[in-house]
Amino acid sequence: MATQAESSKSFFSSPSTETPIIKLEGITKRFPGVIALDNINLEIHRGKVHALLGENGAGKSTLVKILYGIYTPDGGRIYIDGRPVKIAGPMDAIRLGIVMVSQSPVIIDRLTVEENIVLGLEKLNMFAPIRRIREKINEVSKTVGVKIDPSTEVWKLSYTQKQLVEIVRGLLLGARVLLLDEAITYLPLEEKKKFYKFIRQFADEGGTVILITHKIPEAMDVADLITVLRRGRVVGTVPVKGTSIEEIRKMMFGEKSSEITYERLPLGSPSETILEINDLWVRGDFGDYAVKGANLKVRRGEVVGIAGVAGNGQKELIQAVMRLRPVEKGKIIYDNIDITNKTTHYLRLNGVGYIPDLPAKYGVSIENNILENIAIIPTFSKEIINWKHIKSLAYKLIREFEIKTPSPETPVKFLSGGNIMKVLVSRELTAATKLLVAYNPTRALDEATAIRVRKIIKSKVINENVAALIASEDLDEIFQISDTIVVMNSGKIVGVFPADKAKREEVEHLMVM
Amino acid sequence: MVIVRRVKPLPYWIVPVLALVVGLLISMIILYVMSGGVITPYDILLSIYYGFTNVGLLAKTFALLVIVGIGLLVSFKGAIWNIGGEGQFYMGVMLAAWVALFSGFAFNGFIAKTMMILMALLAGGFWALLAALPRAYLNIDEVPVTLMMNYIAYYIVNYITIGEWREKQYGYYRTVTIPESTMFQVIDGTTITLELLILMITIFILVWLMFKYTSLGLRIKVLSSNPNLLRSSGISVQLTILMALLLSGMIIGMAGAAYLGSVSHNISYPVEEKTPGYGYTGILVAWLSMLELIAVPIAAYIIGALHTAGINIQIMGVGGAAVVNVFIGSILLTYAVLITISEYKIKIIVKKR
Amino acid sequence: MIEAIIALLAGMSSVFLAYYLAALGHAIVEKSGILNLAIDGIFVLSIAVAYAEAVYTNNNILASLLLTAIVAALFGILLAFLVTKFPISHGAAGLSMMFLGYGLASLVGLPARNLQGSIKGLEIGYTIDINNPVWIAVYIIIILIGLGALFFINKTKIGAAIRAAGEDPAAAEALGVNVLMVRLFAGALGFALIGLGGAVFELAYVQVWSEGTGMGHGWLAFAISLSAGRHPLLLILSSSVFAGLVKYMTTIQAMYNIPTDLAKMLPFVAAILAMVIFMATPLRRRLAPPKSLGKIYFREERTV
Repeated sequence: MATQAESSKSFFSSPSTETPIIKLEGITKRFPGVIALDNINLEIHRGKVHALLGENGAGKSTLVKILYGIYTPDGGRIYIDGRPVKIAGPMDAIRLGIVMVSQSPVIIDRLTVEENIVLGLEKLNMFAPIRRIREKINEVSKTVGVKIDPSTEVWKLSYTQKQLVEIVRGLLLGARVLLLDEAITYLPLEEKKKFYKFIRQFADEGGTVILITHKIPEAMDVADLITVLRRGRVVGTVPVKGTSIEEIRKMMFGEKSSEITYERLPLGSPSETILEINDLWVRGDFGDYAVKGANLKVRRGEVVGIAGVAGNGQKELIQAVMRLRPVEKGKIIYDNIDITNKTTHYLRLNGVGYIPDLPAKYGVSIENNILENIAIIPTFSKEIINWKHIKSLAYKLIREFEIKTPSPETPVKFLSGGNIMKVLVSRELTAATKLLVAYNPTRALDEATAIRVRKIIKSKVINENVAALIASEDLDEIFQISDTIVVMNSGKIVGVFPADKAKREEVEHLMVM
Repeated sequence: MVIVRRVKPLPYWIVPVLALVVGLLISMIILYVMSGGVITPYDILLSIYYGFTNVGLLAKTFALLVIVGIGLLVSFKGAIWNIGGEGQFYMGVMLAAWVALFSGFAFNGFIAKTMMILMALLAGGFWALLAALPRAYLNIDEVPVTLMMNYIAYYIVNYITIGEWREKQYGYYRTVTIPESTMFQVIDGTTITLELLILMITIFILVWLMFKYTSLGLRIKVLSSNPNLLRSSGISVQLTILMALLLSGMIIGMAGAAYLGSVSHNISYPVEEKTPGYGYTGILVAWLSMLELIAVPIAAYIIGALHTAGINIQIMGVGGAAVVNVFIGSILLTYAVLITISEYKIKIIVKKR
Repeated sequence: MIEAIIALLAGMSSVFLAYYLAALGHAIVEKSGILNLAIDGIFVLSIAVAYAEAVYTNNNILASLLLTAIVAALFGILLAFLVTKFPISHGAAGLSMMFLGYGLASLVGLPARNLQGSIKGLEIGYTIDINNPVWIAVYIIIILIGLGALFFINKTKIGAAIRAAGEDPAAAEALGVNVLMVRLFAGALGFALIGLGGAVFELAYVQVWSEGTGMGHGWLAFAISLSAGRHPLLLILSSSVFAGLVKYMTTIQAMYNIPTDLAKMLPFVAAILAMVIFMATPLRRRLAPPKSLGKIYFREERTV
């Protein structure tokens, strides 16, 4: 992969002669039903900022979690400074000089800044007073360019400050390698700039940074090298100098795969508006606004697909619509009624079906059987459950969706991930007589089933004049199912396209900018 | 050592059976060693045999344990850990005693007994609700709260027992015995009372129906398995918590009325020492049933028998109530450890450095 | 007047110390995230162990205290190990140890009492009252322990690690805390204190033993600990109030005609009210229970 730009810098030209600080050999990690990492080989070198890019589920986070000892790999070897190592826990990683900072701050709210920092500091005796390191913390803070009183309790800090504390902590623990897992993605622009400067400086002084992001410009701004992962595999590693956003985008999304599944389902014929969102502001889990003034209209007989990389406010938007997250400002109007102050229960009794993100966590109860998972929804049962009715419905769904289960009385946990998803989707499609709200409705389904489910959703929308608002991290899905494509980035709606006029490149571009 | 979830859990009866066997073995060892060889495994087995076969002695304990066990099961099914059975039980005893002694209903046995059970139900429910409200709306752990409510209940009952309600003729530390008409009616040839039997069967059937046919029953079950699903289905998690604890307290309160009407016939001071402790033993019954309603009577029978067995050893000399406690403690501890093995596998991995 | 107060203080010093130690021990155990329902059983067991050891060693107070602390600490280690290493319900593990504690207490105490009955003139215990100036030392010791515990919990690394394990064990692990080791340590230390509390209760206060001695007093220490939000210095306040209440129960009853049983209720009512206040007001930042108290902790990898 030697390019002109690469050879102009001396240390790029001969990466193999220098022992890489981290070398991964055949790293494989399986989770029930998925291969998260499939035979990963990667070298990370000293003094470099190395970005890992990829779509959601590409395996970036799993990879750094393995380096930090949170997961243990099923196969493969890790070499640090050329020596094979076993990283059984974060403490092992810290001893090796590897420190991770992730998207959600892993620090403890009721402890002070210095307490949080000191916990991993092995040099300090267990019974020693903590204030001994206060000076040291102030010193390190200065190099990062932050001013935080070490004796402040963490709950008083802003999100940005918490992330900075984590960096300070890393440096104090003697980090040689910083793993930044979406750590700066959600910082305000000003703070980001400072961070870039610091990262550069850290690398110039011989440190190594592994930066995980899904924003290509971010990686281009700060990294020396970019490795792209897709579906648990390394697509390739390229130096930043000499590559382009377009090239990386192609590596991330993969052109071939998109050609195969790119087959738009027939368009619907939209009629009256059923859901209207006006200037919606919703806070995310960290207290900052996740949705910043979104406007949206969904008509009966159409699918509105929200495209976007995970974490850009789609989840919060969907939850606000379902009345599972408070609305700070703005209005949601459903079926001509302002539902901003209504409950989820109201929507359930008025023809709304909901497919939440992470089905096993929010959408079904895996300890209960299929019948119970249907009967629990107020749409299907009043105070007394009519099991005969539920049972015939269950058989119908099992037949129509080809749910593989020994019987409707089987606890859902004994079904495969795909079949669990089918239980959820089929149930909610039945509940949705007016509107279906969904987040990643085909996650965990195999390709063929996913397409089938999309077809069923679409035909329901067209034939029964139902509306659907679907957010998905899978762009293929959005293109296949939508009548209107809406792109969300950083809490704002940055583009609205009729599906037949939307260009994939343009949408991808808006997503990752 | 790594612990991973089993793909398919072991059949659910294995854990309670193993817990009983291993727990009893541990008890025998403890009792043998600690008593310096005085209490031999032979003695224990003999008294356990006696405990299991002496059905007459067992009947009342069994029926009361079934009711309390079912009451606890209702909240445990929702993963709401009601440790306050003792308090709810004694609130039931107290209100039932009030009906029997002071309400003026005693002229008619049927009305009086119905009122005793009804008031006990309300009292037990109210007592549980006091812990349920902070649990539902402030997310305050119900375990310490229900537990401390036991002591508050004990002392309230104590206060009234040797205060207003004290038997004045002989000056005993207890209330007057309830009128003949309000005593539950012993079935000829047994020790159990008719009302207790009916109550037990009725509660059993009603709770069975609730879990089988009502949304509430299903919601309580889902509350423990996945409260997130309740939320996304549009069902109030708070209300479900309140209902689970309320029903639990109501059922246990009724057991209190049955205890007064069938067994004690008065309240003796101090309650915390005179209590039969069903609120605690019931926890073991509910757990050993693996939260299966059908298995509650089996668990109650076994625990009731062990209870009798323990008291039996006490008659033989050393040990006292200690034996019962050692039984309960060892079985419960073994159960708590073994329950993980039914759902998780323990793999020993030798670390290579 | 002053003399009366001094007499009061001297008279309650032993109960005060007993409750303070047990409540502080409980606080340390729970700060690390272990829900401690074993306290009453272990308190009762400690009383029996202290009594028996005193009988067997011809009233060797030091040996008695030491043995009791060790026995209690072993139970603390067992509880901490079980609930941290396995996905076990804290409540089930704690309650079962409570029952075991009750049972073992009888088995330990009864033979010792038989022995004491057969030896003429063998009395056990160490009386701390107005005639023994040690009572002043007790107060000083309590204050020193309180300050020491405050420093230990709030200012040292191990203290921070204990709180971290109680707040969020998963995050604590990621920050570099060995949650198992920390909880084993907190369990051992906390239960040793609970054991010492039991021993003081027996040797300095009750001084006799019968089956069931101390039952309910462990729960009282539990309530004292919760009503002070597990804070080492507030604990001094709450345990002194409730120790005074217990010690002078009969006097109070006689003087003010307050029924004993209603007075006995107070600590439990106070504890529940305190829990509500600590959760519903800004005080929760300092005095609310640890976030992960009683929560099952063990590392399970993601499933979907």
